[in-house]
Amino acid sequence: MAIILDNGCYTCKVGFSNETRPRLMLNSIIKAKSERRTSFISNQINDCKDLSGIFYLLPLQKGFLIDWDLERQIWDYIFSKENLNLNVEFQEHNIVITEPHFNFTPVRKSMAEVVFEEFQFKGFYTTAASTLSSRSYLRERNRHYCVVIDSGFSFTHVVPYCHDRKLARAVRRIDVGGKLITNHMKDLISYRQLNVMDETYVVNQLKEGACFVSKDFFADMELAKNSDRKVSCKYVLPDFQNIKQGYIQDDKVESSLFSFDTYYIVKLKNERFTVPEVLFNPSYIGRINQIGISEAIVNALDATPREIQPLLYKNIILTGGNAKLPGFKERIFNDVRSITNADFDVQIFSPEDPVTYAWECGAKEVRDGALDNLFVSRKEYEEFGYNICRNRFF
Amino acid sequence: MSKSSKLPNEKRESSRIKDADGRRVLDDSSRRRRLSRYLEYLEKDNHNDDPQANLNIPSKRYLPFHDLEATSVSSKKKKKAKGHDNVQKRLRKNFAALLEENIQQNGDSDEPNYVTATAPPPKYPTRKFCHVCGFPSNYICVTCGAKYCSIKCLRIHQDTRCLKWTV
Repeated sequence: MAIILDNGCYTCKVGFSNETRPRLMLNSIIKAKSERRTSFISNQINDCKDLSGIFYLLPLQKGFLIDWDLERQIWDYIFSKENLNLNVEFQEHNIVITEPHFNFTPVRKSMAEVVFEEFQFKGFYTTAASTLSSRSYLRERNRHYCVVIDSGFSFTHVVPYCHDRKLARAVRRIDVGGKLITNHMKDLISYRQLNVMDETYVVNQLKEGACFVSKDFFADMELAKNSDRKVSCKYVLPDFQNIKQGYIQDDKVESSLFSFDTYYIVKLKNERFTVPEVLFNPSYIGRINQIGISEAIVNALDATPREIQPLLYKNIILTGGNAKLPGFKERIFNDVRSITNADFDVQIFSPEDPVTYAWECGAKEVRDGALDNLFVSRKEYEEFGYNICRNRFF
Repeated sequence: MSKSSKLPNEKRESSRIKDADGRRVLDDSSRRRRLSRYLEYLEKDNHNDDPQANLNIPSKRYLPFHDLEATSVSSKKKKKAKGHDNVQKRLRKNFAALLEENIQQNGDSDEPNYVTATAPPPKYPTRKFCHVCGFPSNYICVTCGAKYCSIKCLRIHQDTRCLKWTV
């Protein structure tokens, strides 16, 4: 049995390999305006009633683990009694932790150091989250090639795999992720309607609840211009007294039914789909001079050997939080289909829960013993130091 | 505008353009600076200030480690904190410093790395959207280079964000 920790920038997905679902934990220390004295570690925030004006302290910057002071407190909490209940048993467990692609050597070194010297785990393996997804996907289906699109909080990666190896030369990274989308949304709402600059949490909820990926962008623009019901909506913001969670207001229900005196409504028109559109056309926000996801897929696969390209197009996997946006899969399919060679058969696989998919795959791999000889044990680490990790993992 | 053009001997002119003459026009480099400032803004984790910044009451459970070292009584705790300090010392770098180091290390080698994995610039021209209302736009503010779609939006833009942000 091992612990799998998918250490994402916004949420950690953590659990034992014999479980089917991971626990989702916020990977941050949070300070709230309403509770002045305490700060909340990770999911302790559920105890906080008023989630307005939340202040995040994130240990990861642009996907890379920078602040060990914070991360250690969060891991302490994750492994504590309330959650995994690992009090003394660190020595009996292996741990799999995910890292970003092309992680920096100092980050890797300190990761190994913390895992072995401070937490004293029995064995340790680290790899990118998409590698876990691809390994399990390929083994289950008995295939050899796939490309994983991992669109997370800080960035989006397109990673082609051949057997268990990533084709490093063909990896593409777009610097657009959930954080940028939320901040962009926040800026638009604050400029056009209501100042929500402090309400990262609320706007993030709004994004998850109301945004969608447009299938026909300019047609939807026309609809939005005429305030068509299909695209425009009113979103009720939570006030954390009567309304705990924001929601899209149903037009049929008369707003006079609300018994509360004040509540805030944001009218969303084109924001609903122009904001996630940043993923597909980053260049329209100023300086992000990069191609969007669909083009990046084609661009990445063009960099792979010709013989395997048809096989890669047949196995496109969508993971990461942004893949939850409605219409994401269809849009990528339409785009890739129209850009790429007509001979290729484009098939996209979208897992049930794209956020936890990598974790579930990691758990499966551990259960089936596929990672057994990849773990570095503490004894080996004590003998050879970081070098053995480097030789075995990367 | 249209009225004045009807008069026979008067030169046709637009009041909008006349107004614009009085405004400072930003050059390309400062426009680009503004854009990158917007990008920095999009990368920020928080926009509000730390609500506990000026409270100065360290909660007992989560003392910063240097304080822990100073106050801890048990030697075990001390040791743990020290070990952690080493990690911190080595990694007291922000993302930019790490990236810089990484670029220097990979300077000559052919190996793929963080920089080579960056997605290339797009082949197609960028789409233009009105900075005020978000709908497709055809015009560019003379002063700051932001896009707008109608005179109404331009007025709003000039009254609010012109010379503050550009998108």
